Amino acid sequence: MRKISKAKALFSSVMVVSMLALAACGGQGSAPAQESKGGEQQAAAGQPKDGGVLKIGLSSTAKTLDPIAYTGAYESNIIRSIGDTLVRYTSDLSKIEPSLATEWKVSDDMKVYTFKLRDNVYFQPGKYQDGRKMTAEDVKYSLERSAKQSALKRLRGVEKVEVISENEVAIHLDAPNAALLAMLTDGGNIIVPREEVEGWKDQFGTHLVGTGPFMIDKFNQDDSVNLKRSDKYWGPKPHLDGVEFKFITDANMMTNALRSGDIDMVTDVKGQNRAIIEKDPNLNLQTKPGLSIEYMGLNQIEGPTKDKKVREAIRMAVDVEGLVKGVFKWGGAEKSFLPLPKASWGYDASLEAAVPAFNPQKAKQLLAEAGYPDGFKTELYVIASRVPQATIAAQQLKDNLNIDAEIKTVEWGTFSDIVAKGKAPLYIMGWSWYPDPDFFLYQMFHSKQIGSLGNGYAYSNPEVDKLLERATAETTDEAKRKELYSQAMKLINDDSVHVELGLLDVATGMKKYVQDYQVRADGSIFLVNDETNVWLNK
Amino acid sequence: MLKLIFRRLVDLIPTLFVVATTVFIITRLIPGDPAAVLLGPQASPDEIAKMRESLGLNQPLYLQYVEFLGSLLQGDLGTSLGYNQPVMSLIMERFPNTLLLSACALALSLLIGIPAGIISATKQYSVWDYTVMILSLVGVSMPIFWLGVMLVLYFSVYLGWLPATGMGSLSEGFGSVVTHLILPSIALSTIPMATFARITRSSMLEVIRQDYIKTARAKGLREFFVVWKHALKNAMTPLLTVMGMQISSMLGGAVLTETIFSWPGMGRLVVDAIENRDFVVVQGTVLFIAVIFVLINLLVDILYTVVNPRVKLSNKGEG
Repeated sequence: MRKISKAKALFSSVMVVSMLALAACGGQGSAPAQESKGGEQQAAAGQPKDGGVLKIGLSSTAKTLDPIAYTGAYESNIIRSIGDTLVRYTSDLSKIEPSLATEWKVSDDMKVYTFKLRDNVYFQPGKYQDGRKMTAEDVKYSLERSAKQSALKRLRGVEKVEVISENEVAIHLDAPNAALLAMLTDGGNIIVPREEVEGWKDQFGTHLVGTGPFMIDKFNQDDSVNLKRSDKYWGPKPHLDGVEFKFITDANMMTNALRSGDIDMVTDVKGQNRAIIEKDPNLNLQTKPGLSIEYMGLNQIEGPTKDKKVREAIRMAVDVEGLVKGVFKWGGAEKSFLPLPKASWGYDASLEAAVPAFNPQKAKQLLAEAGYPDGFKTELYVIASRVPQATIAAQQLKDNLNIDAEIKTVEWGTFSDIVAKGKAPLYIMGWSWYPDPDFFLYQMFHSKQIGSLGNGYAYSNPEVDKLLERATAETTDEAKRKELYSQAMKLINDDSVHVELGLLDVATGMKKYVQDYQVRADGSIFLVNDETNVWLNK
Repeated sequence: MLKLIFRRLVDLIPTLFVVATTVFIITRLIPGDPAAVLLGPQASPDEIAKMRESLGLNQPLYLQYVEFLGSLLQGDLGTSLGYNQPVMSLIMERFPNTLLLSACALALSLLIGIPAGIISATKQYSVWDYTVMILSLVGVSMPIFWLGVMLVLYFSVYLGWLPATGMGSLSEGFGSVVTHLILPSIALSTIPMATFARITRSSMLEVIRQDYIKTARAKGLREFFVVWKHALKNAMTPLLTVMGMQISSMLGGAVLTETIFSWPGMGRLVVDAIENRDFVVVQGTVLFIAVIFVLINLLVDILYTVVNPRVKLSNKGEG
């Protein structure tokens, strides 16, 4: 009797366990099969419809939306729906267009920028003002506040802002700067009403008021931010009733939330989640080469890489194409050639040919000439998310040059500390910023930046310094600036400072019913402006 | 008894002092400059220096320590480096969320775990017993992370019954909060549920063999009363100990569940703070959890005396 029941027990438990396992697997495997593949309701575009709330997933928790205090890109993406800057980039980032300012001119000495302001701009009603008209004084207040108090100096080199007339302001700089307009496009430089800032004090970050298409309805710490349409918005009337930004920190859960309909859109899709979204008939994956590059920095003043021949050898020994394919198995990146992303107007494709191709024999020979026929030992610093890049690069260095690069995985705080101090012989990191080359090349190659993370290899070349300075101080003419940057990049390439690795895509996954959303290379989210007005086709 | 409780509360002070000091030291030992982390890759050295100064990180460590203890005495946990808000208010905004999630998970695990354990014990070596034991073994060893993802894949993505992440809000109606609660509660409850089932089973097995149970049965008491009243009451003591431990670890350690389900609780606050080198928040939250931990242990000790009057609440209880 007992024997039988024991066997029965065992059998039934095995059954239960395997059913559980099956159920779990089934959930994953059969989901896509369930929906009909042919169900492409790919919006026959049609007339835009009003109404609905767009739910967007953001991968980090927004802590503060105060323009002078925010630090993360995900925060600026919320700010952009609430406030406006004086000028902004067009969605293809090719040029800067009017926003709150309708026109502007630059003085001959390039130290005074004068802006004409739009006349029909109102703030959203808040606790300390009821939606009054924006004035030139507000622009002065907001920009000076940013110039003086912004932790990240989102507005550099501004001496003062002068109110010329009711709708005219002049920004006075302490030195000529052709990159000022680019800086003004930053979410940190939106125009805000003084009463609200002073009324809310530390709490302004969760009660941001601006002039944008949507206003804060509710800020739920760590969970979401709800925005509703602002009726007095000066631009095109938004089709959406509101926007909800939801914070979902786990990347896989983000994709699950998109599939289940918790959210309508996710930014920053990576890895396997790209494939999952592409396969799902209800979803779209929109991708575009971004303003984000990855590279291996080679220490210029310490260790074997001090020798230019060693650096050249390392560049020739890394098969970048193979590395990018290996790391980005599901796509999302291409080989990068220059320390500038293709989406920047300063990119010069004619320089690509000067970048040494993968050539292990030649590399080996160069390394021997430099006095290291048997390779050497070194260290390669990375943060955890770039370990795959480091693993492949280290393997290639070992195979092709017999260089033993020990991979040091540290987290961000430690990484930035070591790299900024110039203590990393080799390191892999990424860089992304505005499309203006100044924010890449000056930050990464000017000798004044030694000691900061940008120039962590302590690169110093007086000729490059001079070119980079001239490019912002001499002229605002884009063609002339581009020429100067090209010259600088040529010298930088000859000095072998970097091994350029991947140029990363900006990828956004969304439900097919999300219409008229434009993925931008800078990854910023604009829902309503002259070029776009997102609506829901459901 | 009141006197003893008061005494135990006073005993809290040295414990908290040790915790505070340890956390202070450990958070300063982690490499990485909070100013640099806050400002991100594009910050220049002088921006970082300025930030350090404004955060008060330039002061010598002993001064920072004295200041930290000083404000602690006034009940002030400091101001977060990243949020620029008082840590106490950050915690108080999230603690109710963690409490809600933990309470649901606890209720779920008790409601299922204890009866399962009892059935298992009273029907030892039956199919029921084996099923419960195997499931509880699976339960304790199930990685929450995996379980969480599976639950979401099945119930949110495949069936579309329940939301995948977030907490919902009361403004969308009570139902919204309830539906958001279900999956994370299940994920968080598996380990305690399995633990409760096993503990209940073993202590019940011990109790039902004892003489007074036999006596009770011999007196003709209905089996239901014998088991659920007499036996369970005496089997409660070990269960209470485990329960206390589980509640504490749920409150402090809902970290994984909260991260997976984007639940806006304390667990996520701490994880975020550690990543951002927000010392002040880490210190404050750890202290807060320590206080809760001690209080729950005290509560468990008091409950002992209620459940089992033979246990005396002593001054030096091993809380």
